[in-house]
Amino acid sequence: MNAYSRYFFKKLFWYLMTLVIAIALNFFLPRMIEGNPVSLIVSQMSKGMTDSDTIKRVYETFMKEFGIDKPMWEQFVIYIKNLFIGDLGTSFGLYPKKVTDILTSAIPWTIGLQLPAILVGWILGNLLGAVAAYKKGVFDKVIFPVALFINSIPFFTLAIIMLYLFALTLGWFPLSGGYDFQMVPRLSLDFIGSVIRHHTLPFLSIVLVTIGGQAIGMREMSIYELNADYVLYAKLLGIRDSKISRYVFRNAMLPQITGLALSIGTMVGGSLICEIVFSYPGLGTWMFTAIRQLDYPLISGCTLLIAVTVLLANFTIDMIYGLIDPRIKAAQMEEE
Amino acid sequence: MSANILEVSGLKTYYKTRLKEKVFAVDGVDFDLEEGKTLGIAGESGCGKSTLALSLMGFYFPPLHYGSGSIRIHGNDIMKLSKEQLRSKVSGREIAYIPQAAMNALNPTLRIIRFIEDIMKEHRPELSKKQVWELASERFKTLNLPEKVLRSYPNELSGGMKQRTVIAISTILNPKVLIADEPTSALDVTSQKAVIKLLKDLLNKKYIRSLVFITHELPLLYHVTDDIMVMYAGEIVERGTAEQMIFDPVHPYTKKLMGSILVPEEGMKGQKLAAIPGAPPNLKQVPPGCRFAERCSYARDECKVGKVPVQTNGGNMYRCHFDTDTLKEWYANEQS
Repeated sequence: MNAYSRYFFKKLFWYLMTLVIAIALNFFLPRMIEGNPVSLIVSQMSKGMTDSDTIKRVYETFMKEFGIDKPMWEQFVIYIKNLFIGDLGTSFGLYPKKVTDILTSAIPWTIGLQLPAILVGWILGNLLGAVAAYKKGVFDKVIFPVALFINSIPFFTLAIIMLYLFALTLGWFPLSGGYDFQMVPRLSLDFIGSVIRHHTLPFLSIVLVTIGGQAIGMREMSIYELNADYVLYAKLLGIRDSKISRYVFRNAMLPQITGLALSIGTMVGGSLICEIVFSYPGLGTWMFTAIRQLDYPLISGCTLLIAVTVLLANFTIDMIYGLIDPRIKAAQMEEE
Repeated sequence: MSANILEVSGLKTYYKTRLKEKVFAVDGVDFDLEEGKTLGIAGESGCGKSTLALSLMGFYFPPLHYGSGSIRIHGNDIMKLSKEQLRSKVSGREIAYIPQAAMNALNPTLRIIRFIEDIMKEHRPELSKKQVWELASERFKTLNLPEKVLRSYPNELSGGMKQRTVIAISTILNPKVLIADEPTSALDVTSQKAVIKLLKDLLNKKYIRSLVFITHELPLLYHVTDDIMVMYAGEIVERGTAEQMIFDPVHPYTKKLMGSILVPEEGMKGQKLAAIPGAPPNLKQVPPGCRFAERCSYARDECKVGKVPVQTNGGNMYRCHFDTDTLKEWYANEQS
């Protein structure tokens, strides 16, 4: 076995261990929250009911149905068993909907919102940062403070300000949701138009924040690389500026690529605030609802999904980074 | 007498501070270098050695600016060329540079051979990749550098090997003049020896026609160079043959500089090493008259005013008010 595959399997082992711990935490932590989800449901259902015997029977039926009458460790064993056959359980709050069904319906919304926004923001941010570092002067003096300003506003504040300004005051965009509520999701021009109108504002808010952060990072990295000794040396050997810029920006890009991979990995979880503010029908909104209703299976399902994507992204970066950057490759080999 | 390969006259270059002050780090330097000869430039730190080395390349990067004077290679003033002509015709071909920090002089994400290919694309575009490889490996072999270095990334090389690789790259186009800025300063003694041997090889094999070697290690110059030039506060204070400069210096500064060298001989353990008190003057406010007067134990009142004449004594030139005999007499009195 060569050094690289040894490295691969070692990393894989540690990532799997992390996943096991994450699964356990995902299961136990929500169940340690004070309160009983069944009482919440029963108290809503039994409004107007007076017969305490009936209420008790309803309560017991639900306890049995959800499987939370059993001891915690037994529930965990059942949960793990079901996990192996891809069953994440049944939602409490949206009984009898399957958690997997809820997640599959929510994920396209989250990815559809986040992925293009992160990509557009990342590309624009890096371009602006690189140009600011290269051109210096007035351009840099404008870009940098603006990027810094946007980057330091908390995201929820920015989102609420945009919502207030463009949706409430100016009325250019709808206030909430993923599409007009009276519509039925289907492939029609009307529906797609509605989706795009609802998509724009949350999309722009994410793009704006991403641009800010990326531009600052790229500007800093580029300035560092532009002052590196190899730039001067290459110039004195008569290499043209366009080629040297390519050296510089390639090297400055490396940490930015990690940043991109990480934010794609965390996008499922990172969408929480944006989706809540804009009431977007993605994973974040569902998780928020689930936590309020103590919907254990749905909470665990959402967090499991987040954990898996984050681990997967990190693992992928670890594996391919060595192929791009010889310095990391050397460090990988040294670990052996 | 063979022809001068490099003639520098009245060269003035300055750093522009943020307050728009001009600090002349190279202040009216004249010297020439015959074909086949090596010239050492010595001086304590901050005296303008490295600035002179950079200035000789003809390229100026802020905050360093060109003031006046000429740099002629085989009679052609490179300061009269446009930047593009300088880049494509002179840099790396006529005059090449070895940077002070060769450790960081190579792009960390580029294999050595790729960098050489990039240099060749600028200067010998007619060569195919295969021809470049043959040329480079041939050159590395004659210089006793392992061929596998070409396929390596810079981080895979040791410090000494990196330094020798940089030297081999700098001279791959057979430049007439090689400027080496403290090429041995960061190396251990064994690697220093290898670097010196490499530079001598380059001269013997006529890959380079002449060498300017900048260092603060005077004993090294005696072994490497034909002539030595001592710089102080942006000016050349003395120039002579290596022999004369080390054993029979005329200028008080050179005298003191040589006196501060550690000579391993019997009975020296108890002796205190002589040091020159004080520090070079602040170049923002250059004192009138002799720049060394402040620290010179022979200084008279007339030293601190008026222009200091350049005196000659055989092949030696120095910048002092007093003639050789007077100075020699003083030195003799001090000894007894």
